Amino acid sequence: MATFDSKYDMYPAGDVGVIEGEMNIPGQGVPSGDTMEFNTLDEPIKETFLRDLRAVGNKFYHVLIPREKTSLLKEWDLWGPLLLCTFMATILQGSSEPTSKTGDGGPEFAEVFVLVWIGAAIVTFNSKLLGGNMSFFQSVCVLGYCLFPIALALVICRVILFSTQNTFLFFLRFVISMVAFIWATFAATKFLGDSQPEGKKGLAVYPICLFYFILSWLVVSHTA
Amino acid sequence: MSNVNTGELLDFQDYSPEHNRTARIDVEAVHTNQYNNSNTSYDYVEPKPVVEDDPPPKSGNHNFWTIEYYQKYFDVHTDEVVERIISSVLPQKVSRNYFDERIKGKPDLYGPIWVSVTLIFTIAVSGNIASYLQNANKAIHWKYDFHLMSYAATAISCYVWLVPLALWAALKWTITPDEDQIETQASASPTMMSLFCLYGYSLSIYIPVAILWTIQVSWLQWLLVLLGAFVSGAVLIFWLLPALKKSKYFFILVGCILALHFLLAAGFMLYFFHVPETEPEAVIVTTIKP
Repeated sequence: MATFDSKYDMYPAGDVGVIEGEMNIPGQGVPSGDTMEFNTLDEPIKETFLRDLRAVGNKFYHVLIPREKTSLLKEWDLWGPLLLCTFMATILQGSSEPTSKTGDGGPEFAEVFVLVWIGAAIVTFNSKLLGGNMSFFQSVCVLGYCLFPIALALVICRVILFSTQNTFLFFLRFVISMVAFIWATFAATKFLGDSQPEGKKGLAVYPICLFYFILSWLVVSHTA
Repeated sequence: MSNVNTGELLDFQDYSPEHNRTARIDVEAVHTNQYNNSNTSYDYVEPKPVVEDDPPPKSGNHNFWTIEYYQKYFDVHTDEVVERIISSVLPQKVSRNYFDERIKGKPDLYGPIWVSVTLIFTIAVSGNIASYLQNANKAIHWKYDFHLMSYAATAISCYVWLVPLALWAALKWTITPDEDQIETQASASPTMMSLFCLYGYSLSIYIPVAILWTIQVSWLQWLLVLLGAFVSGAVLIFWLLPALKKSKYFFILVGCILALHFLLAAGFMLYFFHVPETEPEAVIVTTIKP
């Protein structure tokens, strides 16, 4: 409070003063430091799109082959998670009939969407509360990108569902989802595991497992 | 770990933000070095451990709305959580006054939250498996029910939050003050947080039970209800016994705790797993009154 008052005391009522300064805004919205080198205002919009898409695709690649540990953490974005989440929610949504007689009992679009985002947020909060040294959106970004194997499994299961179902095909879908679950958990653990203090890694990894397990369960049970 | 050194905490209560702390310590160290040469070896060593393990002394004066305020409820290690889960099922594996020593001194919210979340999802998943098994040899096409999850979530979160709250209030206002004051304050009424912690962990036995409930044998299901409710209710009573004994309504409270535990288990089993044998649409609602 004291600083607030004193700040106003410095400027007398009559003298407004001259407001001037440089209009250089330090590039906060620009994702990488390299892009500040050249001006992006006059480039074709196709290039801008392609550059962003390439960044997203690069991250997907890193999720599929989780070798490098920091590539996802350096520059987070939420485009990939948004794409994956919207895609999964669109496929997974059941019919909107409230009665379970005719509907397929599946979740609605918003339910999957909220489950993914709230789930990622809760898992992130959990690792923050455990004392992890990682920013909120970095963690949400990693968790979102690591949905990629599960989304792939969803596509494969969707293709399998076009044929007539039998026990073997159900088993196949189950195996595919489990592989995707393990893959996603492995990738997320690889990226996020180091941010936790020793002795708490298990506590941080368990919610991640649970999160991906639920999503894989949704993928297996999706039959409509 | 359970008893945080109070001297350490009192030292730093004036400087609230984290950044100031190290700076002040450095200044102190420099000052003691300069002016207090006789004590240098002692005074210089003393602040160092505080700087190094910064996470432990964070239980100071953090704002209620900051994430650091809640970090003290998540300051557990993997083996501690495992030990607490074991203690909620098999109390003879840990020391006799484990609750008084450990859980009351350092209640955590990690266990309760994730045990109940796990239980919610376990019930949703195995409830679906159960309904699949029930309809396995029928002609109708089985459909999964995503919304079992929301019912399970409502029931469990109500139970985990409301019952400890009610128990805490009951213990607070019915404890007889005839004992001497210090004794009562020290061991009688458990804090609200430790009750949350205890109740959350006490649900952990229902996770394997919920998986076993998918076996569609009626007597086995009821046996599991009795077993689960009895074991975890008994452990709950066992840990709370010193506090409960001081209450005027000892038997009522014990009865309520056991009855609610049994009701929860029976409600889960009937609603999510049991196939009614005569009428197909028997709706049993799991209402849990705190």
